[in-house]
Amino acid sequence: MTLKVTLDDDSARWIAELRESGPTQTRALGRLHAMLLGVARAEAFRRRGSIPGDLAADLDDLCLQAANDAMAAILRKLDEFRGSSRFTTWAYKFAVLEVSGRLRRRAWNTRRVVLDEVSWGRFADSAPGTEQALEQRQLLAAVRNLVETTLTDRQRSVFLAAVAEEIPIDVIAERTGSSRGAVYKVLHDARRKLRESLVATGHLEAE
Amino acid sequence: MNEDLRKELLGDRAPDPGCDMCFEVLDQYAEALLRRDDVQRLFPHVIAHLAGCPACREDTEGLLAVLRREAFPDGPR
Repeated sequence: MTLKVTLDDDSARWIAELRESGPTQTRALGRLHAMLLGVARAEAFRRRGSIPGDLAADLDDLCLQAANDAMAAILRKLDEFRGSSRFTTWAYKFAVLEVSGRLRRRAWNTRRVVLDEVSWGRFADSAPGTEQALEQRQLLAAVRNLVETTLTDRQRSVFLAAVAEEIPIDVIAERTGSSRGAVYKVLHDARRKLRESLVATGHLEAE
Repeated sequence: MNEDLRKELLGDRAPDPGCDMCFEVLDQYAEALLRRDDVQRLFPHVIAHLAGCPACREDTEGLLAVLRREAFPDGPR
Protein backbone atom coordinates (compact mmCIF):
# COMPACT_ATOMS: atom_id res chain seq x y z
CA MET A 1 0.00 0.00 0.00
CA THR A 2 1.36 3.42 -0.93
CA LEU A 3 0.67 6.35 1.38
CA LYS A 4 -0.27 9.48 -0.50
CA VAL A 5 0.96 11.82 2.20
CA THR A 6 4.56 12.64 2.97
CA LEU A 7 5.63 11.37 6.35
CA ASP A 8 8.42 12.99 8.30
CA ASP A 9 11.60 10.91 8.27
CA ASP A 10 11.21 9.50 11.76
CA SER A 11 7.56 8.50 11.22
CA ALA A 12 8.38 6.94 7.85
CA ARG A 13 11.14 4.90 9.49
CA TRP A 14 8.81 3.67 12.23
CA ILE A 15 6.15 2.60 9.71
CA ALA A 16 8.65 0.93 7.38
CA GLU A 17 10.35 -0.99 10.17
CA LEU A 18 7.08 -2.09 11.79
CA ARG A 19 5.91 -3.40 8.43
CA GLU A 20 9.14 -5.28 7.78
CA SER A 21 9.58 -8.86 8.81
CA GLY A 22 12.46 -10.48 10.62
CA PRO A 23 14.94 -8.85 12.98
CA THR A 24 14.22 -5.27 11.85
CA GLN A 25 10.56 -5.61 12.78
CA THR A 26 11.41 -7.40 16.02
CA ARG A 27 13.69 -4.55 17.05
CA ALA A 28 11.09 -1.93 16.09
CA LEU A 29 8.40 -3.76 18.09
CA GLY A 30 10.73 -3.87 21.08
CA ARG A 31 11.45 -0.13 20.80
CA LEU A 32 7.75 0.65 20.42
CA HIS A 33 6.82 -1.38 23.48
CA ALA A 34 9.56 0.22 25.56
CA MET A 35 8.35 3.66 24.47
CA LEU A 36 4.73 2.88 25.33
CA LEU A 37 5.70 1.46 28.71
CA GLY A 38 7.70 4.61 29.41
CA VAL A 39 4.69 6.77 28.54
CA ALA A 40 2.39 4.67 30.72
CA ARG A 41 4.77 4.89 33.69
CA ALA A 42 5.29 8.63 33.22
CA GLU A 43 1.54 9.23 33.12
CA ALA A 44 1.02 7.11 36.25
CA PHE A 45 3.79 9.09 37.95
CA ARG A 46 2.26 12.40 36.86
CA ARG A 47 -1.05 11.39 38.44
CA ARG A 48 0.48 9.85 41.56
CA GLY A 49 -1.39 12.33 43.77
CA SER A 50 -4.77 10.90 42.78
CA ILE A 51 -3.78 7.23 42.87
CA PRO A 52 -5.04 5.28 45.91
CA GLY A 53 -2.27 3.98 48.16
CA ASP A 54 -3.31 0.34 47.75
CA LEU A 55 -2.78 0.60 44.00
CA ALA A 56 0.92 1.45 44.28
CA ALA A 57 2.01 -2.18 44.48
CA ASP A 58 0.12 -3.05 41.29
CA LEU A 59 1.19 0.01 39.34
CA ASP A 60 3.98 -1.67 37.38
CA ASP A 61 1.65 -4.43 36.30
CA LEU A 62 -1.06 -1.93 35.39
CA CYS A 63 1.41 0.05 33.25
CA LEU A 64 2.62 -3.12 31.55
CA GLN A 65 -0.95 -4.14 30.69
CA ALA A 66 -1.64 -0.65 29.37
CA ALA A 67 1.49 -0.79 27.17
CA ASN A 68 0.55 -4.25 25.89
CA ASP A 69 -2.97 -3.17 24.96
CA ALA A 70 -1.75 0.09 23.43
CA MET A 71 0.74 -1.81 21.30
CA ALA A 72 -1.95 -4.24 20.12
CA ALA A 73 -4.22 -1.34 19.18
CA ILE A 74 -1.43 0.45 17.32
CA LEU A 75 -0.51 -2.61 15.28
CA ARG A 76 -4.17 -3.21 14.51
CA LYS A 77 -4.61 0.36 13.29
CA LEU A 78 -1.23 0.87 11.65
CA ASP A 79 -2.78 1.21 8.18
CA GLU A 80 -4.97 4.04 9.50
CA PHE A 81 -1.96 6.20 10.36
CA ARG A 82 -1.88 8.95 7.74
CA GLY A 83 0.92 11.10 9.03
CA SER A 84 -1.33 13.94 10.19
CA SER A 85 0.85 14.00 13.30
CA ARG A 86 4.18 12.43 14.10
CA PHE A 87 4.00 8.66 14.48
CA THR A 88 5.24 8.87 18.06
CA THR A 89 2.50 11.36 19.04
CA TRP A 90 -0.08 9.10 17.41
CA ALA A 91 1.33 6.12 19.34
CA TYR A 92 1.57 7.99 22.66
CA LYS A 93 -2.17 8.70 22.68
CA PHE A 94 -2.96 4.97 22.75
CA ALA A 95 -0.69 4.47 25.76
CA VAL A 96 -2.18 7.47 27.55
CA LEU A 97 -5.73 6.27 26.83
CA GLU A 98 -5.00 2.78 28.13
CA VAL A 99 -3.20 3.79 31.31
CA SER A 100 -5.54 6.68 32.03
CA GLY A 101 -8.68 4.54 31.80
CA ARG A 102 -7.10 1.84 33.96
CA LEU A 103 -6.10 4.37 36.62
CA ARG A 104 -9.59 5.85 36.72
CA ARG A 105 -11.29 2.45 36.93
CA ARG A 106 -8.92 1.23 39.63
CA ALA A 107 -9.35 4.41 41.64
CA TRP A 108 -13.12 3.83 41.58
CA ASN A 109 -12.90 0.09 42.19
CA THR A 110 -13.41 0.37 45.89
CA ARG A 111 -16.01 3.12 45.75
CA ARG A 112 -19.64 2.22 45.58
CA VAL A 113 -21.40 3.92 42.71
CA VAL A 114 -24.74 5.14 44.02
CA LEU A 115 -26.61 6.87 41.26
CA ASP A 116 -29.40 8.18 43.51
CA GLU A 117 -27.24 10.12 45.95
CA VAL A 118 -26.67 13.39 44.26
CA SER A 119 -24.30 16.16 45.13
CA TRP A 120 -24.85 19.49 43.43
CA GLY A 121 -22.52 21.32 45.77
CA ARG A 122 -19.84 22.29 43.32
CA PHE A 123 -22.42 23.99 41.10
CA ALA A 124 -24.21 25.63 44.00
CA ASP A 125 -21.21 27.25 45.68
CA SER A 126 -19.54 28.98 42.79
CA ALA A 127 -21.42 32.26 42.30
CA PRO A 128 -19.55 35.28 43.55
CA GLY A 129 -22.29 37.96 43.70
CA THR A 130 -25.80 38.08 45.16
CA GLU A 131 -27.57 38.63 41.84
CA GLN A 132 -25.54 35.94 40.17
CA ALA A 133 -26.14 33.63 43.12
CA LEU A 134 -29.90 34.04 42.75
CA GLU A 135 -29.73 33.47 39.01
CA GLN A 136 -27.58 30.42 39.61
CA ARG A 137 -29.92 28.96 42.20
CA GLN A 138 -32.85 29.41 39.84
CA LEU A 139 -30.99 27.76 36.97
CA LEU A 140 -29.88 24.88 39.16
CA ALA A 141 -33.38 24.37 40.54
CA ALA A 142 -34.72 24.33 36.98
CA VAL A 143 -32.06 21.83 35.89
CA ARG A 144 -32.78 19.54 38.85
CA ASN A 145 -36.49 19.66 38.12
CA LEU A 146 -35.98 18.96 34.42
CA VAL A 147 -33.64 16.06 35.20
CA GLU A 148 -36.55 14.43 37.01
CA THR A 149 -39.28 15.36 34.56
CA THR A 150 -37.82 15.33 31.05
CA LEU A 151 -34.99 12.79 30.93
CA THR A 152 -35.40 9.08 30.33
CA ASP A 153 -34.33 6.75 33.16
CA ARG A 154 -31.08 5.95 31.36
CA GLN A 155 -30.34 9.62 30.62
CA ARG A 156 -31.11 10.57 34.24
CA SER A 157 -28.84 7.85 35.65
CA VAL A 158 -25.93 8.76 33.40
CA PHE A 159 -26.37 12.51 33.87
CA LEU A 160 -26.51 12.29 37.67
CA ALA A 161 -23.58 9.90 37.81
CA ALA A 162 -21.34 11.83 35.39
CA VAL A 163 -22.25 15.42 36.19
CA ALA A 164 -23.49 15.51 39.76
CA GLU A 165 -21.44 12.65 41.22
CA GLU A 166 -18.46 13.25 38.89
CA ILE A 167 -18.01 9.56 38.19
CA PRO A 168 -15.76 9.17 35.12
CA ILE A 169 -17.69 8.00 32.07
CA ASP A 170 -15.39 5.02 31.50
CA VAL A 171 -16.18 3.87 35.04
CA ILE A 172 -19.92 4.27 34.33
CA ALA A 173 -19.42 2.35 31.09
CA GLU A 174 -17.66 -0.48 32.89
CA ARG A 175 -20.31 -0.67 35.61
CA THR A 176 -23.17 -0.67 33.13
CA GLY A 177 -21.59 -2.96 30.56
CA SER A 178 -21.47 -0.22 27.96
CA SER A 179 -18.75 1.65 26.06
CA ARG A 180 -17.29 5.04 26.84
CA GLY A 181 -18.57 6.45 23.54
CA ALA A 182 -22.08 5.10 24.12
CA VAL A 183 -22.25 6.52 27.64
CA TYR A 184 -21.05 9.90 26.42
CA LYS A 185 -23.74 9.88 23.70
CA VAL A 186 -26.41 9.35 26.37
CA LEU A 187 -24.92 12.20 28.42
CA HIS A 188 -24.74 14.44 25.34
CA ASP A 189 -28.39 13.78 24.46
CA ALA A 190 -29.43 14.43 28.07
CA ARG A 191 -27.64 17.78 28.11
CA ARG A 192 -29.15 18.80 24.78
CA LYS A 193 -32.62 17.93 26.04
CA LEU A 194 -32.01 19.95 29.23
CA ARG A 195 -30.75 22.97 27.24
CA GLU A 196 -33.79 22.85 24.96
CA SER A 197 -36.13 22.66 27.95
CA LEU A 198 -34.30 25.50 29.71
CA VAL A 199 -34.71 27.65 26.60
CA ALA A 200 -38.41 26.76 26.44
CA THR A 201 -38.90 27.78 30.08
CA GLY A 202 -36.92 31.00 29.68
CA HIS A 203 -33.94 30.01 31.82
CA LEU A 204 -31.53 30.07 28.88
CA GLU A 205 -31.28 32.17 25.76
CA ALA A 206 -32.13 30.41 22.51
CA GLU A 207 -29.20 28.75 20.75
CA MET B 1 -22.10 30.01 37.55
CA ASN B 2 -18.96 30.43 35.54
CA GLU B 3 -18.84 29.37 31.91
CA ASP B 4 -16.70 26.26 32.56
CA LEU B 5 -19.12 24.92 35.18
CA ARG B 6 -22.08 25.73 32.97
CA LYS B 7 -20.49 23.74 30.15
CA GLU B 8 -19.84 20.86 32.51
CA LEU B 9 -23.46 20.92 33.60
CA LEU B 10 -25.14 21.51 30.25
CA GLY B 11 -22.42 20.84 27.70
CA ASP B 12 -21.38 23.12 24.86
CA ARG B 13 -23.76 24.45 22.26
CA ALA B 14 -21.21 23.73 19.55
CA PRO B 15 -21.49 20.34 17.84
CA ASP B 16 -19.81 17.66 19.94
CA PRO B 17 -18.29 14.73 18.04
CA GLY B 18 -18.07 12.46 21.10
CA CYS B 19 -15.20 10.55 22.69
CA ASP B 20 -14.29 8.34 19.74
CA MET B 21 -14.02 11.15 17.20
CA CYS B 22 -12.13 13.26 19.71
CA PHE B 23 -9.61 10.46 20.20
CA GLU B 24 -9.20 10.13 16.42
CA VAL B 25 -7.70 13.61 16.16
CA LEU B 26 -6.25 13.99 19.65
CA ASP B 27 -2.67 13.65 18.37
CA GLN B 28 -3.22 16.38 15.77
CA TYR B 29 -4.94 18.61 18.31
CA ALA B 30 -2.12 18.19 20.86
CA GLU B 31 0.61 18.98 18.34
CA ALA B 32 -1.34 21.99 17.04
CA LEU B 33 -1.83 23.27 20.59
CA LEU B 34 1.89 23.03 21.33
CA ARG B 35 2.71 24.75 18.02
CA ARG B 36 0.35 27.51 19.19
CA ASP B 37 -1.82 27.06 16.11
CA ASP B 38 -5.30 28.54 16.24
CA VAL B 39 -6.99 25.45 17.72
CA GLN B 40 -10.24 27.34 18.31
CA ARG B 41 -10.57 27.65 14.55
CA LEU B 42 -8.99 24.32 13.59
CA PHE B 43 -10.57 22.04 16.21
CA PRO B 44 -13.79 23.67 17.49
CA HIS B 45 -15.51 20.31 17.89
CA VAL B 46 -12.67 18.88 19.96
CA ILE B 47 -12.73 21.93 22.20
CA ALA B 48 -16.51 21.58 22.58
CA HIS B 49 -16.11 17.94 23.52
CA LEU B 50 -13.30 18.52 26.00
CA ALA B 51 -15.38 21.18 27.76
CA GLY B 52 -18.00 18.57 28.61
CA CYS B 53 -15.94 15.39 28.99
CA PRO B 54 -13.57 15.29 32.00
CA ALA B 55 -12.19 11.85 31.00
CA CYS B 56 -11.10 13.04 27.55
CA ARG B 57 -9.78 16.25 29.12
CA GLU B 58 -7.66 14.19 31.50
CA ASP B 59 -6.35 12.04 28.63
CA THR B 60 -5.52 15.16 26.63
CA GLU B 61 -3.59 16.61 29.56
CA GLY B 62 -1.70 13.33 29.77
CA LEU B 63 -0.74 13.41 26.10
CA LEU B 64 0.31 17.05 26.34
CA ALA B 65 2.46 16.22 29.37
CA VAL B 66 4.22 13.48 27.40
CA LEU B 67 4.90 15.81 24.49
CA ARG B 68 6.13 18.61 26.76
CA ARG B 69 8.43 16.22 28.59
CA GLU B 70 9.77 15.03 25.25
CA ALA B 71 10.39 18.61 24.12
CA PHE B 72 11.78 19.76 27.48
CA PRO B 73 13.10 16.64 29.26
CA ASP B 74 14.59 18.66 32.10
CA GLY B 75 11.53 20.86 32.61
CA PRO B 76 9.05 20.70 35.50
CA ARG B 77 6.70 17.68 35.61
